[in-house]
Amino acid sequence: MSTLPQRESRAPATCPGSASTQDLDSNYGDGLERECSRKPDRKVSEFCGAGDPTAMLSSGSSYLSSRGGVIKWFWDSAEEGYRTYHADEYDEDKNPSGIINLGTSENKLCFDLLSSRLSQSDMLRVEPSLLQYPDWRGHRFLREEVARFLSFYCKSPTPLKPENVVVLNGCASLFSALATVLCEVGEAFLIPAPYYGAITQHVYLYGNVRLVCVYLDSEVTGLDTRPFQLTVERLEMALQRANSEGVKVKGLILINPHNPLGDIYSPGELRNYLEFAKRHELHVMVDEVYMLSVFEKSAAYCSVLSLEGLPDPQRTHVMWATSKDFGMSGLRFGTLYTENRDVATAVASLCRYHGLSGLVQYQMAQLLRDRDWINQVYLPENHARLKAAHTYVAGELQALGIPFLSRGAGFFIWVDLRKFLPEATFKEEMLLWRRFLDNKVLLSCGKTFECKEPGWFRLVFSDKAHRLCLGMRRVRQVLGGKSQVAEEPHSCQAQEPRSQHR
Amino acid sequence: MSHQSDTIHLPCGQMRGQGLGSQGTHTRPLEMMLHLRQTIEKHIMQLVTRHQQQDLVLGDQRHHQATGEQEALLGNLVSQLISLLRSGATGGLGLQPSYPALDVRGDVGGGQEAQSSGQPDQPVHQLKDPEATFVSQHLSNRGIEISASYQANLQDYRIYQADKYHEDTNPLGFINLGISENKLCLDLMTERLSQSDMNVTEDVLLQYSDWSGQPFLWEEVARFLTYHCKVPAQLDPENVVVLNGCSSIFSTLAMVLCDPGEALLTPTPFYGVFVFSSQLYSKVELILVHLDSESTDANPHPFKLTVDKLEQALLEATLTGKKVRGLVLINPQNPLGDVYCRDSLKEYLEFAKRYNLHVIMDEIYMLSVFDESITFHSILSMESLPDPNRTHVIWGTSKDFGISGFRFGVLYTHNKEVASAVSSFGYLHGVSGIIQYKLCRLLQDREWIDGVYLPTYRSRLQRAHRYITRKLKALGIPFLNRGSGLYVWINLKVYLDPCTFEEELLLCPRFLDNKLILSQGKTYMCNEPGWFRTVFADRPSAMYWFYQVLEEQKWGLRVKQPESAQKE
Repeated sequence: MSTLPQRESRAPATCPGSASTQDLDSNYGDGLERECSRKPDRKVSEFCGAGDPTAMLSSGSSYLSSRGGVIKWFWDSAEEGYRTYHADEYDEDKNPSGIINLGTSENKLCFDLLSSRLSQSDMLRVEPSLLQYPDWRGHRFLREEVARFLSFYCKSPTPLKPENVVVLNGCASLFSALATVLCEVGEAFLIPAPYYGAITQHVYLYGNVRLVCVYLDSEVTGLDTRPFQLTVERLEMALQRANSEGVKVKGLILINPHNPLGDIYSPGELRNYLEFAKRHELHVMVDEVYMLSVFEKSAAYCSVLSLEGLPDPQRTHVMWATSKDFGMSGLRFGTLYTENRDVATAVASLCRYHGLSGLVQYQMAQLLRDRDWINQVYLPENHARLKAAHTYVAGELQALGIPFLSRGAGFFIWVDLRKFLPEATFKEEMLLWRRFLDNKVLLSCGKTFECKEPGWFRLVFSDKAHRLCLGMRRVRQVLGGKSQVAEEPHSCQAQEPRSQHR
Repeated sequence: MSHQSDTIHLPCGQMRGQGLGSQGTHTRPLEMMLHLRQTIEKHIMQLVTRHQQQDLVLGDQRHHQATGEQEALLGNLVSQLISLLRSGATGGLGLQPSYPALDVRGDVGGGQEAQSSGQPDQPVHQLKDPEATFVSQHLSNRGIEISASYQANLQDYRIYQADKYHEDTNPLGFINLGISENKLCLDLMTERLSQSDMNVTEDVLLQYSDWSGQPFLWEEVARFLTYHCKVPAQLDPENVVVLNGCSSIFSTLAMVLCDPGEALLTPTPFYGVFVFSSQLYSKVELILVHLDSESTDANPHPFKLTVDKLEQALLEATLTGKKVRGLVLINPQNPLGDVYCRDSLKEYLEFAKRYNLHVIMDEIYMLSVFDESITFHSILSMESLPDPNRTHVIWGTSKDFGISGFRFGVLYTHNKEVASAVSSFGYLHGVSGIIQYKLCRLLQDREWIDGVYLPTYRSRLQRAHRYITRKLKALGIPFLNRGSGLYVWINLKVYLDPCTFEEELLLCPRFLDNKLILSQGKTYMCNEPGWFRTVFADRPSAMYWFYQVLEEQKWGLRVKQPESAQKE
């Protein structure tokens, strides 16, 4: 695996961020390597295939600043896998032997519904006011709609207020903005690991804020009732350790429903975490970007906004976006809900840099307003499709005798491939990842989620049946050297028998 | 950084209220009284002159509005006065929520004070401001600083957003001639964007794209720039990075070209948002190269940028231990409206090359040159750039196409390293796929752009410019007569007595009182007080109102001067 870039090349003595960047690695595992490895989902996975970043960075650049070199490293580190995928993207007709992407957490099941809704005439309004500079925190009509929407779907006990809403171009920007306005350079947020790895880069690039991992175990021990269970004890320990090492922790990031575990926190658990945060005066950022993607009816999802009497409302900040729940990651719409007006204003102060087009704001308002379509058409259909795809992949994995976690939310299954690693190392994990890629299927390996046990992979199932079948077939081919490949449950017109790399 | 930030932190509001902030509390009611009296005078004066105006079609309407406003202002002032006197009895004077924090955060006091002390002078707006306090125990220091700086800088902007002038729906709203927005072609743009070819919702537009933009858009941008910048060889789509606006491009460039504390050279006056952008995330200092308004024999052109000045500023910065990494130029210039000639451009670029400086060239107004006798030269049109790997061009559609609400900016750089590094920020500054598609269609439509849009746009700009310059001449207000941009750089020194930045700032609320927003030279880092930038790319009714206010202002100032002298 790659090693850290040379320190002196990335942090000059005058850089206020240098101290923190320098000790990132010493205290918290992989430090900058971790920092640098985060790209959006699809890139995260591909990072594993990156070349030697030390070589890249130590060669230096006469054009970029030291900081610029580190920033570029984020990009370069993803290049190989990224280019490989994009240069050879699967297409049923044009490139049937191309790479199937089961690594990027995108919902590709409902483009038909979305395209038809977004093409309806009410969406196509063009008004001068939408073409001009907006209120940087978002057009009022949209903030009102977001407040109504969240009140309804989060089951908020009292109506949420438009003044507490800030609209930006996606949750990545929101993480970045919150890190900037809540932390000084070098301060930190706690985050239970494994976690959606791109957050590392979001909070680091501009904010120079680091993440302190609360490592969770797959083993069920003590009072735990499930693998990778987050407990207050673990939070306390991680916080203590950070404090003892002189790291100032300012907040806690929770992802609910969880990515990549698919976990849903119970109201009781949520409250415990919030109480923990309150005791230590920590901000809590709750990323609820999958809140409407709970497809298993038995899984009762509870938004933090539904809690009666939040322990510390001034330090509780909720994030949501349409990227996942409405399958529109390309639309770049994210929103913050916080009762803390100072935080809302401070985040809005950054919106000149993270704004989204007025026309899109208008469309989003129209979409969120259309409760009939959402409730009667979109959500039932989306959930049914997610469930069918999940059932298929879960069945495949069972047939292969592969353990996995999945609790009925999200687009992915957290798969335990530890038994396929000759040795329990991240090097072997990466080799396995590469074998998948060589066999034209892209997965995300646990390392990119900062999982501390090698051998876990995230497998995205929210894709069309033909691609999913083909992808799973390729997964089987890689794993199937030993395990006998089950008969394909669906007949896939997979055109090409891929050569197996052993 | 702090020096720059201090200056930019000075908001209109602060100075507007400064007199009040520094005086004892019991002088406030007096101030209010004076203001009230002034308003009454103005009101009566307007009533008297009203029917004289009636033959002016537009004026009649505006004057009705103006009178209505004055009445509203009166009512507001009176109730303010009462509540102020009442709270004065308990000693609070309405400043409680923010003052305690001032002691703790002296450095952001400027912004804070602006919020609170701006009140008495702006009775109409202050009560609507929900964001009056921003010193918070919950924010980081930089969070507070960002908030403060934003609030201070964009106070007028927020007032404007909350109460925008609209001919039909809000005729009493604020007219913003301070913000450089092209409102002349909203009809054309609305129509073009409403055509059916714009409305495509394909899967690929709804998915994650490459973070530096959709490949189809890079290609279109490369073709578009090749054509409009008259580039000798086809530009390479791979060198294009697309982000959500030029501020984002500038911010990311500052991040990747400079380390914290390093500096960029820039001639002033210049677009003030760059100051905010350079401090915000990247903590890069701007070294200002002050230009003179005086023309001399050696330098017949006011505010002329010369290599000598650049050399001198660079030398001084270097002597003080500053590491200067680049030079920022805007062409056509904002706020001067100057267009650099080819030779000057070459000289600036050669200068930069001598010192291994990056050149960030902002050409966002490149299609807004309306005087046919002026030729704009994009640096991309040069046969050979002196230092192509250190030359980075910014463009966007906000100004040239009047769609600032689209949030779209472009970087073109030959330097792949810079392009990659900037692309790392892609998803913090991403543009919606649907919007990328629309932009692609727009830029593709050469026929409409060349045949319909640009001719109409430029002739409207020209007409608006002719109107404003004629009025300025009639009022005896000096200005720079240039043929590009959406604004005129005007000199209101005669209204300042003494000619100081304090007086310059005091002029702003006068405009505000008349629901007019102008931006003063200070926000462009101009080192001579008295200059203002006024945008003329607005509806005729707005421009007429501007003229009216200036006329009244002239009258008001003559009355005001002895009065203010008395106070001192």
